[in-house]
Amino acid sequence: MSSRTSVLFGAAAFLLAGCHPEAPDGSLVLTQTPVGVPPPPAATVLDVRYPPGSRVVLLVPPFRTDKVRELSGGLVAAGDPCVSWDGRWVYFAGKSSEEADWQIYKVNASGGRPQPVTRMPGGAMDPALAAHEELVFSSPVPKAGRLWTTPTPAALYGQMPGQAPRRLTFGPDSAVGATVLRDGRVLFVTAGARDDPHAPRHLCLFTINNDGTEVTAYACQEDGVDFVRRPRELGDGRIAFLAARTEEPGPMGWAECVRSAAPFATRSNLFAFRSVGCRSVEPMSENDVLTCVETSGWVGRSMMGNAAVFRVAADATAIGAPLFDDPQWNSIEATPVAARDEPAGHTSAVMPGASRGTVLCLNVNDSSEPAAELRVFALAGSGQQRTLGKVPVASDGSVLVYLPVGVPLGFDTLDAQGHLLRHQPAFVWLQPGENRACVGCHEPRNHAPLNIRPLAAMLDPAHLEFTDQTTAPRATAP
Amino acid sequence: MKLKRIILVAMPLVLAGAGAAVGGRTLVLVHQRRMSGRPDLGFVSCNHCHRVSLDKLPWKQRRPHHDAPGGIVISPDGKTLFIAMDDVDEVAEADVTSLTVTRRAKVPGGPFGLALDATGQRLFVACPHQDRVAVLDTRDLKEQASIAVGVRPTDVAYCQTPVGERLIVPNSGSDDISVLSVSPLRELVRTAGGREPYAVAVSGDGRHVYVANRMAVHDQMLSPPASEVTVLDPANGHVLDRKMLHSAHLAEGITPVPTRGWMLNSLVRVRNLVPITQVKDGWVMSTGLAISQEDGEVTQIPLDEANAYFSDPSGVVASPDGKRAYVASGGADVVTVLDLERLGAWLTQADATARSDAIGNMALSFRYVVARIPTGCNPRHLALSPDGRRLFVAERLDDRVLVVDTTNLKPIGRIVLGAGGRNDPIRQGERVFTRARYTFQGQFSCRSCHPDGRVDGLSYDFDGSGIGDSLLDNRSLCGVAGTAPFKWNGKNPTLQFQDGPRFARVLMRTDPIPPAQLDELATFIEHLPPTRTIPWSRVGQPLTPAEERGRKLFFATQRPDGTPIPLALRCQTCHRPPLFTDRLLRSVGTKAARDASGRFDTPHLLGIGASAPYLHDGRAKTLEELWTTYQKDDLHGVSSYWSKEQLNDLVEYLKTL
Repeated sequence: MSSRTSVLFGAAAFLLAGCHPEAPDGSLVLTQTPVGVPPPPAATVLDVRYPPGSRVVLLVPPFRTDKVRELSGGLVAAGDPCVSWDGRWVYFAGKSSEEADWQIYKVNASGGRPQPVTRMPGGAMDPALAAHEELVFSSPVPKAGRLWTTPTPAALYGQMPGQAPRRLTFGPDSAVGATVLRDGRVLFVTAGARDDPHAPRHLCLFTINNDGTEVTAYACQEDGVDFVRRPRELGDGRIAFLAARTEEPGPMGWAECVRSAAPFATRSNLFAFRSVGCRSVEPMSENDVLTCVETSGWVGRSMMGNAAVFRVAADATAIGAPLFDDPQWNSIEATPVAARDEPAGHTSAVMPGASRGTVLCLNVNDSSEPAAELRVFALAGSGQQRTLGKVPVASDGSVLVYLPVGVPLGFDTLDAQGHLLRHQPAFVWLQPGENRACVGCHEPRNHAPLNIRPLAAMLDPAHLEFTDQTTAPRATAP
Repeated sequence: MKLKRIILVAMPLVLAGAGAAVGGRTLVLVHQRRMSGRPDLGFVSCNHCHRVSLDKLPWKQRRPHHDAPGGIVISPDGKTLFIAMDDVDEVAEADVTSLTVTRRAKVPGGPFGLALDATGQRLFVACPHQDRVAVLDTRDLKEQASIAVGVRPTDVAYCQTPVGERLIVPNSGSDDISVLSVSPLRELVRTAGGREPYAVAVSGDGRHVYVANRMAVHDQMLSPPASEVTVLDPANGHVLDRKMLHSAHLAEGITPVPTRGWMLNSLVRVRNLVPITQVKDGWVMSTGLAISQEDGEVTQIPLDEANAYFSDPSGVVASPDGKRAYVASGGADVVTVLDLERLGAWLTQADATARSDAIGNMALSFRYVVARIPTGCNPRHLALSPDGRRLFVAERLDDRVLVVDTTNLKPIGRIVLGAGGRNDPIRQGERVFTRARYTFQGQFSCRSCHPDGRVDGLSYDFDGSGIGDSLLDNRSLCGVAGTAPFKWNGKNPTLQFQDGPRFARVLMRTDPIPPAQLDELATFIEHLPPTRTIPWSRVGQPLTPAEERGRKLFFATQRPDGTPIPLALRCQTCHRPPLFTDRLLRSVGTKAARDASGRFDTPHLLGIGASAPYLHDGRAKTLEELWTTYQKDDLHGVSSYWSKEQLNDLVEYLKTL
């Protein structure tokens, strides 16, 4: 072979290596778990969800069981795939060995060797993609059965390509199941605020911007069963999610949804038919969804049971025939491989290095008696509640205060005698430099403020500080 | 040796050159400091003040014109649609069966608002560029008559009264309403409106006329603004009521629902007094509809949803059976369809508190909004066929009219007026200007605060440097070309900088506008001419005696007693012609407690009469207040010797700029 030929071959090989073929139109990415494999002892929540042998595969039309292409080759278990906005890459949670932590991997949608994109201590799970290929995930991966009781709850992180991850959430409970809405916000699941850490959790949906600011209740706070999982924005704008009476829905979960036009008033079943055993829901097109549903006990099917993939129209009255069904595997998570519109980006107002943010409450008296002071407290790393200090309330009920960042904050309103009027458990947090405002304590959902100038906005803010060693109030006057 | 000789020759030359440069710079500095009255001023380019020519500014240059549809009206037999095209001075006639333009007629003056008489034989055309109403014969589209009205008439309504036919014309530039008789064509009365009377509708029984005023006014600086709906008796022009739409502005559309006794008014609900810490949940503004009922009650309801917004509502029409209403959202490229029966049911069961709070409840609209119909760019005016089966949508920036079958809410086709001007960067920039997609959830567009590039008359609290800073008055974009720097603190050297990443962080809460679109946006803004505030008939005419007296006052260098006015305190020093700004930061004694600095960018005065309120925080409601309520120690020009008459003269002159 001449040197010129060698160079040409080399160049061709280099180009081929860098030029990733795309998956055929209509392809799906699917998580398959082996039927009947028990989780290993002392496993994490992902080991329960994706037992050893679980894999992520590419399904190419016409979706035959002998034509699946494994995307998670070389890993002992994998699951929870998510496709990049250009349809060329698949991100998923995977485990390289029995002892290794779960991490997020990336692989070309048409195949290849998966590469880890996270190296989080304690592992990473639930990948989602925001604008500009920013990866959002939860870390660490809690132990099995401890997702909502772990002393080290999973937090959400954001990671731009080639950069270090940034922590987005600081709530007292795990923040998991993230998905990115078309408006650019991150929708995720966590437990609603509560006083007693041992009280039963009620899981609900919250949003944050992709810089971790403006944590806001989205849906399910006051209704439905206690456990929700895996929210997804559908093509018609509804938010679908899995509901269950247990932490891991397994064969007993079903699909519900809310309308984004009024998330707190529209919770209902997603399908017009019985969907018990629903394992996942993903948007397919504007009107159709992909869902994986347990089929055990169905007419004409074996009682052994396994989950199959269905394509369901929004107005369907019956689930119809499976799109893909492999009796040897549970098909539990299917998502289309296609280019979609990237969600909106967000220009961050976070100022890295700033030690405080600002909170403006327009009216702490909203739905309460007139308050004289606002007491602010934070949850220390130990889970103990520490009072930061008190702030005077303006005559119109408004309060403006500088507060520490990166800790769950709670608020009490007090009357002139110091008696407690209202208590808001520690839940919200501030990012460095964040300016945050609320209508009032227990503010009505999805309500705009009145067009009134808050008196507190015309005063200098009070300033409260926090260190984890704080044992007594350390309020400083403005 | 040779080198030495070169050095010996060159050295004195270099030293002389350096000396000349230093001396020249010193002279320039002395000149600048003397002329500006600013001893602290650093070096400023000579071009900053000299060689400024209005004739070289973008808005003085010729630009492409487009067949943009303005007002549209359909004939009583439902067969013909008339379309005003203000940018090309034409009115078009289209056949609604074939969806083709059958005739076009020249109508000078920027035809914008249209109305037909009861028989469909006469077409009345409001021409805002020439302050007139033209009467066209629909048989040949020839102009039969014309009459002068107030400044910038934007709409016209026809009605029959017991004493004869009437035309009602809102004059948006002079804040009044002309009431005309038709035979003969004569102005009977000109009634004071609110601020910018913009759209007009006749009640179902023909006894009342409702005029929507586009802009809000407020009593005091920190009090909530309100826009007015002026209710007139069309027979004599008497004002029957002035309904106030609280915290509403951009009220551009109005229509009756005769079967329900309602008047519907599209609006933007602003929350300008609340610090802009966020935009979600309609924190800055949201869109709505005001329902004025026969009993006098006005209820504002939201058009937006909890997580999606449909900005800049404009045209609104209701079906003849009163079952549906349609609202064009110019910023969202959508027509919203409302089920009025559901809305009526909600109004009936809602108590007073629920009705009062409705506009702030972003999760309410799903109870009565039944569809959102996608449209082309910037839908503004709407028309319904007499049987209510066809909806016509003027897609203003696409030069088309969309036709929708209202039985299934599907598009039937489009009436094409022009090519859309995709190669015109000014037009492309206007598309960026009107589109809300650049803000979080599409909550607002540039136009939401700058209707037609002008002001909304409001002051806002941006949280760029912390919560609770002083409010900042919204400044007009008309005539800003050549007046850089921008922003009240003068920190933005270009429009691209002004509307770039920082703007995205502070207000849009999304990714910044991409550079190519940002350039187009700046191009569009630079081509916005100053707002004309004098009547068309006065353009190019000599100043009136009062205006001339005011001009002399503006350029005065000494008091009547001969005492010189210090250079730094002469009007012309800071407001230097021809832009009437020196483009420098100035202190005129208006620093508020929360202001970071007392120095603010000197605003240009071109079109100043249309940009109230004034000063950096909008504290002065009128030009008069600048030198009465808010003048301090003659810091804003030496005005202490002025009489009331002299102040009036000065204001008259300023309104001619």
